[in-house]
Amino acid sequence: MSSINRSEFLKLLAGGGFGMFFFSSCKNILQEQPYSQIAPGNLLTSQDGVTAVLASAYGNANAISKYFVNDLSEWCTDLSWQTNGGENREAVLYINFNWDPSAGGLNNYYNNYYGAIRDANTILDNKDQMSKIANADELIAEARFVRALSYQYLHLMFGPTPLRKSNNDKLDLPKASESDMLSFIESEYKAVISTLPDPGKEAAYGRATSGAARGLLCKFYLNTKQWQKAADMAKEIINMGYYNLFPNFMDMLKVSNEGNREMIWVFPYSAKGHGGQEANLIANGTFPPGFQKWPRTGLVMQSNWNNWASQYRLRDAFYNSFDPNDDRIKPIMTEYINAKGNTINLLNTKDDTRSFRYWPDPNAQGNFHGNDIPAVRYADILLTRAEALNELNGPNQESIDLINQVRTRAGMSNLQLSGFSSKDALRSHILLERGWEFYDEGKRREDLIRMGKFIEYAHNRGVSHADSHQVLYPIPQPAIDANPNLKQNPGY
Amino acid sequence: MITKCKNIIYGALRFLTVSFICAILVSVLPSGNVYAQNSGMAIKGKVIDAQSQAPLPGVNIVVKGTTNGTATGKNGNYQLSNVGRNDTLVYSYIGYVTQFIPVNGKRVINVSLKTRTIKGQEMVVVGYGVQKKSDLTGSITSIQSKDFNKGVHTSVDQLLQGKVAGARIVENSGEPGSGLSVSIRGASSVNAGTGPLYVIDGMPIDNSSAVSGTGSGFVGSRSGSSPLSSLNPNDIASIEVLKDASATAIYGARGANGVIIITTKHGTKGKMKVDYNASAGFQSPANTMNVLSPQQYKSVKNAIIAEGGGSPADKVGTLSNNGQGTDWQSQIYNNQALIQNQNLSISAGNDKTQYLISLNYTNQDGIIKTSGFKRYGGRVNLTSDLNDKFHVGFNLSATYSKNNFAPVGYGLNEYAGAMYTAINWDPSKPVYDSNGNYYVDPTLSMDNPLAIIHGSNSYKNTYRYFGTAYGTYDILPYLSVKINVGGDVTSQRRDTYINRLTKIGRATGGEATILQGQLSNYLIEGTTTFHKSFGPNDLKVLAGITTQKFLTDRSSESASGFSSDATTTNNIGLGDQLTYGIGSSKYGSRLLSYIGRLNYTFHDKYLLTATFRADGSSKFGSNHKYGYFPSFALGWKLKQEKFLKNVDFISNMKLRASWGQTGNDEIGNFLSMTTFGSGANAIWNNNPTVGLSPTRLPNPNIQWETTNQTDIGLDFGFFNDRLNGSIDYYQKKTFNMLLNLPVPKSSGFGVQTQNIGSIKNSGFELSLTSYNISSRNLQWNTNLNVSTLKNEVTNLGGIPQIISGGAGFTNQIFVTQVGLPLRSYYGYKVIGVWQKGDDFSKTKDNVHPGDLKYLDVNGDGTVNAADRVPLGSSFPKYTFSLDNTFSYKNFSLDVFIEGVQGIKMLNNNLVDTYFPVQFRRNVIAKPYLNRWTPSNPSNKYPSFVTPLDQGQKGVNSYTVEDASYVRLKSVQLSYTVPREALHNVINSLEISLTGENLYTLTNYQGIDPAVNSNGNANARIDYNTYPLPRTFTLGLKLGF
Repeated sequence: MSSINRSEFLKLLAGGGFGMFFFSSCKNILQEQPYSQIAPGNLLTSQDGVTAVLASAYGNANAISKYFVNDLSEWCTDLSWQTNGGENREAVLYINFNWDPSAGGLNNYYNNYYGAIRDANTILDNKDQMSKIANADELIAEARFVRALSYQYLHLMFGPTPLRKSNNDKLDLPKASESDMLSFIESEYKAVISTLPDPGKEAAYGRATSGAARGLLCKFYLNTKQWQKAADMAKEIINMGYYNLFPNFMDMLKVSNEGNREMIWVFPYSAKGHGGQEANLIANGTFPPGFQKWPRTGLVMQSNWNNWASQYRLRDAFYNSFDPNDDRIKPIMTEYINAKGNTINLLNTKDDTRSFRYWPDPNAQGNFHGNDIPAVRYADILLTRAEALNELNGPNQESIDLINQVRTRAGMSNLQLSGFSSKDALRSHILLERGWEFYDEGKRREDLIRMGKFIEYAHNRGVSHADSHQVLYPIPQPAIDANPNLKQNPGY
Repeated sequence: MITKCKNIIYGALRFLTVSFICAILVSVLPSGNVYAQNSGMAIKGKVIDAQSQAPLPGVNIVVKGTTNGTATGKNGNYQLSNVGRNDTLVYSYIGYVTQFIPVNGKRVINVSLKTRTIKGQEMVVVGYGVQKKSDLTGSITSIQSKDFNKGVHTSVDQLLQGKVAGARIVENSGEPGSGLSVSIRGASSVNAGTGPLYVIDGMPIDNSSAVSGTGSGFVGSRSGSSPLSSLNPNDIASIEVLKDASATAIYGARGANGVIIITTKHGTKGKMKVDYNASAGFQSPANTMNVLSPQQYKSVKNAIIAEGGGSPADKVGTLSNNGQGTDWQSQIYNNQALIQNQNLSISAGNDKTQYLISLNYTNQDGIIKTSGFKRYGGRVNLTSDLNDKFHVGFNLSATYSKNNFAPVGYGLNEYAGAMYTAINWDPSKPVYDSNGNYYVDPTLSMDNPLAIIHGSNSYKNTYRYFGTAYGTYDILPYLSVKINVGGDVTSQRRDTYINRLTKIGRATGGEATILQGQLSNYLIEGTTTFHKSFGPNDLKVLAGITTQKFLTDRSSESASGFSSDATTTNNIGLGDQLTYGIGSSKYGSRLLSYIGRLNYTFHDKYLLTATFRADGSSKFGSNHKYGYFPSFALGWKLKQEKFLKNVDFISNMKLRASWGQTGNDEIGNFLSMTTFGSGANAIWNNNPTVGLSPTRLPNPNIQWETTNQTDIGLDFGFFNDRLNGSIDYYQKKTFNMLLNLPVPKSSGFGVQTQNIGSIKNSGFELSLTSYNISSRNLQWNTNLNVSTLKNEVTNLGGIPQIISGGAGFTNQIFVTQVGLPLRSYYGYKVIGVWQKGDDFSKTKDNVHPGDLKYLDVNGDGTVNAADRVPLGSSFPKYTFSLDNTFSYKNFSLDVFIEGVQGIKMLNNNLVDTYFPVQFRRNVIAKPYLNRWTPSNPSNKYPSFVTPLDQGQKGVNSYTVEDASYVRLKSVQLSYTVPREALHNVINSLEISLTGENLYTLTNYQGIDPAVNSNGNANARIDYNTYPLPRTFTLGLKLGF
């Protein structure tokens, strides 16, 4: 190295310095810039920010979708089933009582509700930062409402699941006990009823109201067989005086009649939405092959509608259980004209009639129709009180009167108390009545389970291996794989 | 600095334009190389080995630029007549340095030829420098342009396909300009990228697409287009594939997946050289899906109905087109798709400055109608010695390319693309209805394939500017510094419009989407090199500092409800205002790194290489901003040792061993931060309302994943290197793997990216070159590459398994489990077909005679998810290629064969065949033509009378097919026109005929066992795959 003279040394220094020049000016060079994503610091202190997170909570809680209505709640029952299409791959699991923890739809359902719970907890964990927001109390009440609803719908499918009350709770929570689950859901709804706006006063259609909280809690009491509380809460709702029965059963769920006063809580959908959480997809599978026209109603296929390969079909035994004069049979298609101009009678093929409860949306965009799916409607509240009072006291006049209110709207004659000799007899009738009233609304599974008929009816249909453990769905396998403290439901 | 780069680029563009015009002018002038015809004379002499002085028989002697030549006889003597006084004689012999000797009127010329190590003296590009091939201690494959794959190629990766042992290059689609997935030595990550780092002229690039997504309503392919298609393959001088850690560790946190270094051509000293080459040809599908013909369809479907399947309403009646029906696939293919490529390059220089200018035009029509690729490119490369110490150079290129996309993707039914519908459409139906419109069948939930093709328009314009500039200064004879700067800017815009020819377009009133994106990447680095010999010691040290910044900006606009299809995306504002959609995003990351390398040689026998890189990345958590990546390698030139020096048949023998650590930082941005991004949308007042939700469970400890790699290799040459090659064994163990670890779902999150788990890849690689025949008129050379690969997941952080993958209606395709290869196929094992005499009381499942029988692993009487088993993986056991070149006089024939053994692929179209979603869909022929019937009680194929009754077990041992194959990949016949025939009008002329994808031997039932439309070579799914073209091209190479 001795051969380096002074001037060369200086040049070397200059060269090195030139290189260093570029780097010296960049101090925080490795600090990450979030550019297009929002840091939490300023989001949750503004009303718009909290409302946006709340919107995501509501959106995730809309996971109810056709999968809930069809696969999870009706294709496994005496009402309906499905053939063809890619959907059939999961549908047969439910039709044949062969579901297992790997079912993809169950996994989405589970994850979506926990997504809603995460979003709600994000707001609730941040309560202290919301002091400057004028309607903070209402936003907090809505977050608690969505969280309670999410736990209710998880409980409906899986029984108790991990009860996460804050995002800061440890990750690997085990299942909560049944009693903790029940009391948490009940107390949360109760806590927010007085804070939530009354129906009609909510900031936007699709957001929580005091009536919605009461309605969901009433159904929760019923499904968990808390008869007295269910009867009382139903009475409270009736006494609100806000809700009534929509006069025309056939048109009740049409897009044009959305927001009618029978609807206490709906899962709202829009033709402008995309995917099963934002739009109603049921009509796509309801059209029979080559559908062109339904002469009885004048329904004609529109070019903006899709007719899926998948076929949603009612079972003949259910169709035949209707009184032909019952208005509630009217949305069922038994005959149509196909594109070749041939008239097809759907009663000629087994179990092939179609329910058009969700009347195709004239403004549907391809797969996406705007019909809301009702979660709790006034007729359900009437029948809930009727059922609860029967469970408490056996057949009684008030129960009969409540049922008759619902029958009257359907153009049916009144029942007489004398026609029911026992609690069982009236319960059996309520089950029939609920089938006629709520088909295509995803209520059948819970009704059958509550009345102890879910497995029995499967056996009656020839699904001999249906087993009592199947009244609960299995916890999805990916949730089990990711959490050693989470135990699978018995029998799976 | 950014402004500086832009200025350089814009300046270069101006320069390029001016130079081009000048070059055209120059090239049309007659070349001044006219010399008098010589009268013949005879020359004789003897050729001997310079070292042993032994006579050399069989040496080729030829008069330069002619075919006049001879060879030496037994005693090394030769005689050649008809030689001009001013001619030059060329003496060539395999294993020896070719000599050029001007005659200068001499009558006797004796020559002594020096041996050469064929592979030894070549220079190989390594990270941040070049090295003599004989001094390499790492595992590097260097491919020169003459050895690139033959034919016309749009993307650089295609040039290497099958040429490099240990590098798997898999086409994702046959669509022009489409992407390839490249993996070097297996896959060492579950969730981080597994593609190599590309370095072009010293600058590492971001090999992602500026625009992501396809546009609303367009069924685009899953894999997208290749970012490398904006580089002109004709501009490339060599490609080096760096495989082991000794070679890649200098790239630190980006080196774990291997590095591909691309070096562009440079100008050469001397007279101006103008090269023009052009090729043009036709393409047609190399294979099509073998579905039922209209006649077969009718008889098979009706037979199934007769046996109780489908329903009577599904009965197939008269075939359309006078009983011919419709072959839907042939409707969408273009069987004479044109391909052409033109390239002009001008190179010149004096002792101080050399430059190369090139222009390129490529135009490839797709074999599916409406698709295609076009490229216009220009380049200026310049090097100059400003004085004897200061050298500068720059490489600049500008490219415009345009992709026209065919609607071929994974969408299905109402949202299906052209390929899916062409495979699935009822072949008994006509193309047009009685009004001349595209026929739509109300019983098939699919649009007409031609309506989809002509009604879904999507194209992408890409502008890419790439430039690097360097200056080196030799401070002392043994010490130099180098500054290197570079910029790479890609601007893309994709326009998609779905018009009213399609059902979707009619439902939405036309759907328009504009997607724009810009990728930019800037580099500055300074390095210092010290190189000196002290007696038997030779020491070379490199030290440097480098920083790179990456930015991605994207935006999108969409609208539907247009009153007319006339304006498409050119006036998106004409759509219905209520349907407007806009979006934008921006991401950036930055690297700051320190590098060092030491090469030490002792007695030219013992070699030591040590490298080190400290990499800082903004993507990593605050607790781990810097990673440190060392490597060490030893080489031992055995041939230089006494005990081998006199062993004549061994001409080269070198043992190499290396160990090193490399990293992988191919993960998303922001993983260490809590941020809010778009969540679920609420429906409030009947409108979707945008929701925000926390994007992830942040991990402040996130860092690179680390791979330890050991490599042992032997380079060898026998018989004067007539047979030479190398063999390597490697083992790569990745730990702290970047894994999207499933977290308890009750958190509301699915996964958290963590550094956990490990994976192992190991294998052998053999490359062999043999000069089988080297006589004067006939030469035959063979290249053989063979590699093996074993991939195994060794740790998953305590999680029992991760199930992933989906295509069409098939999901849960892959399982990642300790002890299995990454993403093994996971499904049901078919053990036969239920027969009439079987005991049906043993199963609870809804099965009938003629249904598939699956293995009930746990014997519980029902086949469900618990009975799934691993069914193989996407990793091949063996990969091989064989390249033979035969030359006879002026003819040359190159035959390239490649193949893969022991590899699986999910054939998802076969899933649709086994589990049809509608009765009147078409299906893959073979299972249906051989189906079970009471009179043909097959134990292989089911009856298809009740294909759905026992549930659809889509991933099974039938649909996960063996995708092994051997392929005649290319054959090229070329003819070099003798120089005397050119009469000095031009300097050289070569004509060639090339055929590609000529023949494939495979049992695979899909369109192509080598094409993976899923876009990830380690998770292969074949679905609605765009077929590879069979191409015939005529090529012309002219030198002026």
